[in-house]
Order: sequence, then C-alpha cells, then structure tokens
Amino acid sequence: MFGTLLRFRLRRDRWQLAVWAVVHFLLAYLVVSAVHTTYGTAVERANTVKVMMVTPAILLFRGTPQGTSAGDFMALLGLTFIAVLVAFQSTFLVVRNTRAEEALGQTETIAATAAGRWAPSLAVIALGVIANVIAMIAVAVGCLAGGLPTGGSWLFGAALGAVGLTFVGVAFLLAQLFPAGRSANGWAAALVLAAYVVRGLGDATGTPHLATATLTPAWPIWASPIGWAQRTLPWSPHARVWPLLLGVAAFVVLTAAALVIQDRRDVGAGVFAERRGRAAASTVLRGSIGLALRLQRGVLIGWITAVVAGALLLGGLSGVMVDQLQTAGAGVTNALDEIGGGDGSSGSLLQAFVNVGAIFSALLASAICVQGAMRLRQEEVAGGTDAVLSTAAGRMPWMLSFVVVAGVGAVLALVLGGLVAGAVAGDKGGGFATWFWAVVWEAPAVLVFLGIVALVFAVLPNATIAVGWAVFGLAAIFGLFGPLFGLPQWARDLAPFAHTPAIALPHPDFTGGWAMALIAIALVVASLVLFRLRDTKPGA
Amino acid sequence: MNAADAGQPVIETRGLTKHFGRVRALDGLDLSVGRGEVHGFLGPNGAGKSTTIRVLLGLARATAGEARVFGRDPWREASALHRRIATIPGDVALWPNLSGGETIDLLVRLRGGDATSAAYRSRRAELIDAFQFDPTKRARSYSKGNRQKVALIAAFAHPAELYVFDEPTSGLDPLMESVFTRQVGRVAADGGTVLLSSHILSEVEKLCTRISIVRAGRVVESGTLTELRHLTRTSFSFERAGAGGAMLTDAQLAGIPGVHDLALAEGRVSFTVDSDAVAGVLPALGALGVQGLQVAPPSLEELFLRHYGDLVPPAEAA
Repeated sequence: MFGTLLRFRLRRDRWQLAVWAVVHFLLAYLVVSAVHTTYGTAVERANTVKVMMVTPAILLFRGTPQGTSAGDFMALLGLTFIAVLVAFQSTFLVVRNTRAEEALGQTETIAATAAGRWAPSLAVIALGVIANVIAMIAVAVGCLAGGLPTGGSWLFGAALGAVGLTFVGVAFLLAQLFPAGRSANGWAAALVLAAYVVRGLGDATGTPHLATATLTPAWPIWASPIGWAQRTLPWSPHARVWPLLLGVAAFVVLTAAALVIQDRRDVGAGVFAERRGRAAASTVLRGSIGLALRLQRGVLIGWITAVVAGALLLGGLSGVMVDQLQTAGAGVTNALDEIGGGDGSSGSLLQAFVNVGAIFSALLASAICVQGAMRLRQEEVAGGTDAVLSTAAGRMPWMLSFVVVAGVGAVLALVLGGLVAGAVAGDKGGGFATWFWAVVWEAPAVLVFLGIVALVFAVLPNATIAVGWAVFGLAAIFGLFGPLFGLPQWARDLAPFAHTPAIALPHPDFTGGWAMALIAIALVVASLVLFRLRDTKPGA
Repeated sequence: MNAADAGQPVIETRGLTKHFGRVRALDGLDLSVGRGEVHGFLGPNGAGKSTTIRVLLGLARATAGEARVFGRDPWREASALHRRIATIPGDVALWPNLSGGETIDLLVRLRGGDATSAAYRSRRAELIDAFQFDPTKRARSYSKGNRQKVALIAAFAHPAELYVFDEPTSGLDPLMESVFTRQVGRVAADGGTVLLSSHILSEVEKLCTRISIVRAGRVVESGTLTELRHLTRTSFSFERAGAGGAMLTDAQLAGIPGVHDLALAEGRVSFTVDSDAVAGVLPALGALGVQGLQVAPPSLEELFLRHYGDLVPPAEAA
C-alpha cells in the first residue's frame, strides 16, 4: 500500500525532481567555478573576506566567513542561497502533495480506499526525504565537479539536505493548519524567508576575528534551520556534523506533531477553521478588476510587506555600514562591485550598496509580477476564466485586470520600499533621494517580467507556470550572483535589471530604463492581442 | 431587444465544425433555436454538446462553419452578447476563497446587472430560500450540489433573453430539480429562450418544447416532441388471461392491427405500435376485453436508441 502510494507520488513528481536536481547541481557548480575565477588566489580571498567581515550588509545576504580556502568561500557565498532553494523545493513539494490535493478532494478519493489515514501521508514524507537525498547528492556532486575537497562537499550537501528536511516538516505541519493550499504555501514561503533573514541577522551582528578570517555569529543564527547548516562549517578545519542533526531532529518533531494533528481532524478540514464569508459582495467586488484585486490580495500584501521589510533592513544597514567602514580600506568597494554589479570605477562603497539594495527590492517586486501573470493561467485551468468570459466581461478587460493589478502592485511595492529605505538610510546612508529613485527606477525592469509571462500565457498557455518560475529563478540567480559569475556582457544584458539606471552613480543613464518600459508595454500589448486569438483551455 | 432580431432564430449554426488536433469534436453541426423555445440539446457524453456551447459563448472559435447568436458572431461580439445571456457551465468553477453570496453578486455584476437593485435583491433572496442555500460559506467548502446552486441562482437572479444551461441539474437532488423546473418555466413564461443540454431524458421531456439530438458532432434529429414521437412506438402490455380466465389465443393476438415486437413473458403479452397507429389498436383490445392494460408513451430513451442503435442491449433484438 505504502509502496504503491510512494511510486504514484514519485511518478507524479518525476519531472519536478529532475529539474530541481539539475538546478541544484548547476548552481553549486557555477558558484564554485565563479569563486575560482573571481577569487583565484588565497591572497585575493583573504583581502575580500576581511572586507566582508566588517560589512554587515554583505554578511546579511551571504553567510558566515569561516576561512580563506575556496571551499570556505563557497560556504560563505553559496550556502544560504542554495538553502533557500532547497527549502522552497521541499515546501512546494509537500503542500502540492498534501493540502493542495486535499482542497481539491483528491485526498478523499484516496482516503476512501484501503490506504487508510497514515500511509498516504507517510508516502509524501518519504517522497520529501528522497527529494532531499537527491538534492544533497546534486549539490555535493556540483561542488566536487567544481574541484572542491570531497569531505567538505558531502558535508555541504548533507547540511543543505537537512535544511530541506526541516522544511518538509514545516510544510507538513502548515498543511494541517490551513484549509487551502495557497495559504499553506504562502506561510511556508514567509517562514523560509524568515529563516534566511534571521540567520542573516546572526551573521551581520557577529564578532569578527580578523587574524583567522573567521566570524563568530550572534545567537540568532541558532534560531534558523539555515543557520544550523552554516554551523557545520564545511571545508573548514573545524567542520562538524552535529549541527545538521538539529535539522533532522526538527524534521522528526514537526512531522510527528503534524501526524498527531492529522489523526484528530476530519479529511478536508484544517485546524484553523474556514471563516464564514460575506453573504453579499462588497461594492469593491465588481467587474474583472475587482475580482483580480480580490484574488491577488494575499500575494500583494505578502510581497509588499517583504519589500518594505527588506527596505527597512537595507536602509538601516547602509547607515551602520558607513560607520564601520570609515577606516576599512579601498578593497571594500571592489568586493561590493562584484556583488552589486558596479563597473569597478564607481569608487564609492555606498553607490554599489544602493545598487544591491535596489536589485534585491526589484527581485521581490518581480515576484508579484510573475505570480500575477501566472494567476491568469491558474484561473484558466480552474475554470474561473470561462465563468467570467461567459458574462459581459470581455477578454481584453479580463486579462488586463490581472496584469494591471500585478503591475500596479509591483510599482506600489517599489515606491513604498524606496520611501522606507530612503527615510531609514538618511543622509549618512546615501541620502533619501538616491535610495528612493534607485529603487523606483527598477520598475521598468520588474514590469518586463510581467510582460514576458503574460506573453507566454497568451501564446503557450501550458508553459506559463514553468516559464514563470524559470524566469523568476534566473532573475534571482542573475540578480544576486550575476556579476560574480563573470558572464560575458551579452549574457548580462539579457537580465532586465542590467539596464535600469544606476541612480547612485554620478551620471546615471536613463536610456535603458525607458527602453525596458517600452519593452514591457510592447510585451503586454502583444499578449493582450494574441490572447484574443485563441480558445480558452480549462482543466488542462 | 433589437427590432432586427424579431423574426430570426436566437441561435443558428450552419455546418459548425471544431477540430482539436485530429479529433473532430463538431462535424458540421446545424442547430436552430427559435425565440421563446425551451430547446433540449440531447446527446451522450462526448457528442459535442459542451463544445457547441463553448463556441456559442465565444470561448472557443469554430474551425469552420457559421454560428450566430441573436444574429451576431459569438466570437467577435462576445461581451455585447453576454449581456443578454445567462449561463450555467457543465463544470461549475468557483473561486475557493469567495463566499457563495459574493460569487453570485459578482457574476450578476459581470453580466451587467445591478447588485443593489431592489428587484435583484428580492429575486436573489427568493432563490436562496427556494434552493435552501447558505451564501456565507466559502466556495471551497461547498459540495457539488451547492456549487451548482451558486451557478443556478446567479443565472436566474438577473433576467436574460437567452439561458444556456449545460447539464444544469447534475448534483441536485429531486427536490432541487423541481425548483429548477419551476424557474425554467418562469423564465420561459417571461419570453426567455432556453438552450438546455442534457443526457437525462426525463428532464428534457419534462421541460422542452423542441429537441435536437446530437451524435458524434452532428445534429441527427430535430423537432418538437410531438414530431419526434411520430418516429417512435408506443408500448402496450396486458395479462394473457382474459376476463373469464381463458387464455387469449395466438390467433386472437395476431388479429390486433399494426403490432410489432410481439412477446409473451410471465403471463403477460407485450408489443409496440407505431405512435400514429395507436387509435386503431384500442377497439381491438376492447373487443378482447384485456385485463391489466398498461400503455407507455414513447420515451426519449427510444429516440436515443434509434440513433445509437449499437448501444441497444441484445435482449431487445431477441
């Protein structure tokens, strides 16, 4: 019974597992290669790491300095980002196979067979374990292929696998609590990002030891599953296995708690009961635009909150950073340029950092656009599109409503983020206007994402979700690692963020920004026109 | 209503063809629905009913042929036409986190209705009461029948000129079906036109004034119920033992005019008669003094069997 269910799950998820394995392998391999290319010698690495150690704003996004070997750099630059991906893989996997199915009634179909209450859940848990073993192997092999030492590579992979396992437990517990897959996914994403930020606070407020090029992170690192993985110190002489066992233990405890809850609740119900709705629609819920707003409300609130929280952190740190770096030396700027995408001639630490902050905000805001455009396809599959198009609402207004809500939401997120970052940074941290305009000028690039995914929806609807996530994933990797990879210029130019005006520089070039805006508009218009030419395809 | 609409059919398709890859979902479908008709659109699963409706609603574009709704192109003028149309889709899809009441109001507003008007509020309250529906629950927690009610209430709460129903009673219990029947009667009495797709024969028989039977993407029969009944046979059965207990002889039975499919089973005689020859049979039966006479009118089941003869169970042939 368990075997049948597990085979069914493996078959259903085989493509996702394969794609994730390739992504984990490539990312590990590419970051290692970039470390070798960009920081080839021990001297270069020693200089860079010393700069980073006194730059909390960088540590917040990267990790814990733990030495000067190539492996130590991999742990510093790559671990936390890959950990976020592994965590997302696990939460999506678990929610997709548990609560999302339960909300659609598929769980009931299985529960009505001889499968019983436990076997279906245990099969999903087993799938989660298998997925993370695959992730561990993919990451470790990627490191080995990049020429890093064997023991550290496997410890690195295992530590990340343990992060994934913890989030299998987290997502399984959330799936018991919420009656809808979307809420469970939303809360899981929030917890993954929280784990990233909490460990970042631990790294940013740690105690540096310049002599050994190491840093003792502050206590928050222990409050995050990603922090546990960092504390295994792979490739360092002080490497140890036990912190990753914390992740495994958390997985066991969370899973057990979830199973106990599941054993006591009805199939289809959540611990947080469904609230009653309004008996009649409010005046806002009218027309396609009201519907689009209502359906994307949760996504908008979530991501706008994330952008504002990120801006608060970035703006705040920019002031702190200046204090700490008054005497830190010129090497700092080069390091920041490599991360922030400057051209090495900017000569100003803050300019590069403002650029990092703007790209980070833009990345979060582009999630609104990507998810908003993907929602078009989700509505079509669920039949909501046909329900609306069978009324007097036209095709173009329907599609435009979702696009406008996502686009306006993303721009609003950037404006609020820019206001907050500018206000918190103050004159010392780079100045209000610089922060504000740097963040707001990311809008054209962000809207290009909306146009791309909308166009795919209009032309190749079946590919919308896959392309949406792929575009977002590539943007994240390019945005955060692009300069590090040392890609040729034409490849860098593919990323929309590469063309937004660098406001922090003395003479920002606005041509790219306007060009991006025009491309975004052209893509959206093309998608609106092309959608009118095709049949809707529900339930595909 | 435009003056130009007056004489012409509300729905008219000619040679309607729709291909999905190599599958011919519609293969030259001709359908005509006149104003004020309650038109049954009858066929088994996969015959092309839902595809036809999707074309008529402008959700899918015909590969070839012509479709007209109120004399206009349903693909190009979809939203203008939809102000005059109420629909119930075959699969009622709702937004999981909207309540039933919100969904009803939203759909009516999307059709161009005013959700605050007194007429709408009172009709809505009446329907919610008649269908025994709780509008405050979130759509994700509704059962199939309750999801169906959301679509039904939204369709009936705001007046339309054309009602397009795709298997509207699936998931409803008999009590709710009768509420549905009453509502169809009401909108028909108000001059509305109804296209009702179904594979449930009794439903169509009960509600419809005209019927089109669709098979494999074509309309194979179309007409009023009476017209179609000419093509069917009425079935008779009675006790073989006559009034005095004496068995009717074979010769006596053979004397009844126009008899087909004569059979004897469990002491009863049964046969069928062409529906237009029934009057000639009755005097003969009276003369024989038959006991326990049962006469069943032709059912749509039989109409179906004529067109899907391959589905007739072997017993019928014996």
